[in-house]
Amino acid sequence: MLPPVVFVGVLLLLPVAFIALYSVGLRTNIPGMPTAFSLSNWSDFVVGGGSAFRSRFIYSMEIALLVSVLATIAAYPLAYFLAFVARRRRYALLLVLLAPFFTSYLLRVIAWQIILNNNGVVNSLLWTLHLRPHGSAISWLIYSNFSVALVLFYTWIPFVSLPIFVVLENMDHRLQEAAADLGASRAVTFWRVTFPLSLPGVIAGFVFVLIPTTGEFITPLLVGGPNNQLFGNSIQAFFGDTPNWNYGSVLAIALIVVVIVLTLVFGRFLQADLRAETRPTR
Amino acid sequence: MKLTSRLGTAGLAIYFWAFIIFLFAPLAVLLIFSVNKSPTPTLPLSGFSTKWFHEAFGNGVLTGALLRSIAIAVVAAVLATALGITASLGLLVLRGRAAALTLTVLLLPLVVPYIGLAVGLLILVQEVGAKPSLVAVVLGHCVIVLPFAILVILPRLRSLDPAMNEAAQDLGASAFASLRLITLPLLAPALVSSGIICFVTSFDEFAIASFLAPSGQPTYPVFLYASARTPALLPEVIAIGALIIAGSLLLVVLAEGGRRWAERRLVGETAATATAAAAPAEQPTEAFATTHD
Repeated sequence: MLPPVVFVGVLLLLPVAFIALYSVGLRTNIPGMPTAFSLSNWSDFVVGGGSAFRSRFIYSMEIALLVSVLATIAAYPLAYFLAFVARRRRYALLLVLLAPFFTSYLLRVIAWQIILNNNGVVNSLLWTLHLRPHGSAISWLIYSNFSVALVLFYTWIPFVSLPIFVVLENMDHRLQEAAADLGASRAVTFWRVTFPLSLPGVIAGFVFVLIPTTGEFITPLLVGGPNNQLFGNSIQAFFGDTPNWNYGSVLAIALIVVVIVLTLVFGRFLQADLRAETRPTR
Repeated sequence: MKLTSRLGTAGLAIYFWAFIIFLFAPLAVLLIFSVNKSPTPTLPLSGFSTKWFHEAFGNGVLTGALLRSIAIAVVAAVLATALGITASLGLLVLRGRAAALTLTVLLLPLVVPYIGLAVGLLILVQEVGAKPSLVAVVLGHCVIVLPFAILVILPRLRSLDPAMNEAAQDLGASAFASLRLITLPLLAPALVSSGIICFVTSFDEFAIASFLAPSGQPTYPVFLYASARTPALLPEVIAIGALIIAGSLLLVVLAEGGRRWAERRLVGETAATATAAAAPAEQPTEAFATTHD
């Protein structure tokens, strides 16, 4: 029991503790900089006038929320189809739906880069079909909010439909039959019975996209322009080309705290799912 | 009454299959351009050619990165699965608050963003006076895949019949022998799943590797990222990418086939044991737990 706990302690909790120390100036990577407790980086990020990183943070949360909401809405009918229409073939079709998720994430983003590029598949197809003058690319197709949101949506949607499917699949069908017997139309049965009962799955799916997209930084690097970089990219920059680990640590802690708070807020639903999954089967 | 009208059924089916096309289209794009003659992936297609595959395999940096990633993923998967077994055996014993707290700590890597963990590990490496290295990448990957190992192994461990271990110990087996001869073989399917999931996740991981892999020793995703921004290397990346996508889709199909086969076999076996042993064991799970103290 002890080894795995120690392992996670040393390689997860300790690093996070170090980030926290850096964020308040108790440690530093800047040569000659005195190490003393200071909240100046924090105050600059949280209340500082015109902090570029605060607005980047808000922008990231907006994109993450937009993508999560759209992905959840789009995934629901997929899960519904699998659970109630596909019937006997549902597990095979679920696997077809999830299969792209098992292929390399980076490769899928690169594929989208090839599709959306200024002389990529979409633009060159339009040129070949003479639908657009040769050489004129659609300006919003890549390096835009559209491309970043589309690729994030694409990446996570199979994963959102999974928890919704699990809830729909395990639903007691007698409840829906009872509603129908008592005279409810299909629409009423759906909105008054099926949908409310499926909410735990919907929320779990929503969180499954929201959490990874909040910390995302690869997609904006490959298909985003300078204005579409996310909060994760800001963190990356502070630990990369222009190092300032102290300020970067403030951003990293902010991100970790937000994600953990989101998890706790929605945790009841996730925990219920988890308990169901790890419950003894006997 | 059916839940959907005929029109609704048709609409849902069309929606579903349209989505499948949307999901597979980018993968198809990579496969198509991997055999396209032109060095730039653009339409119209310029004819069939396998030269990019030859060039990709002739590129020592690329093949080196691939081998490096395979090695890292194998070590991370084995280590995480071993830790996953230890953790699951422990979680089986713990009760109440202690169990909940331990499980929370062990699953924590699921909710810490990779970028946060990556910079934290970079700081840790610096603080202990080390340099970024492939060992650091392995350890980082091991942390993020450990929850997957536990989530795969723990339910399987809980589903095992404690009577089998009790029988072994009644017949004189030590706790370790019954673990080695009874528990681990029965866990085998879960261990294989855990190994595959951990391997695939580590093999594909970019954030941690990009911070911790020393320059000159890129992992495959790190190399992929750098090459995606270098037009001259793009065709080779597409070629290898196409192979990897085809390979992973094949793996999914094989894994599912294997799972169904194992399930059918397992169902058959349990049915047989149930009929053979007239009185099925209904011992509380605590009895099983004590054998591993």
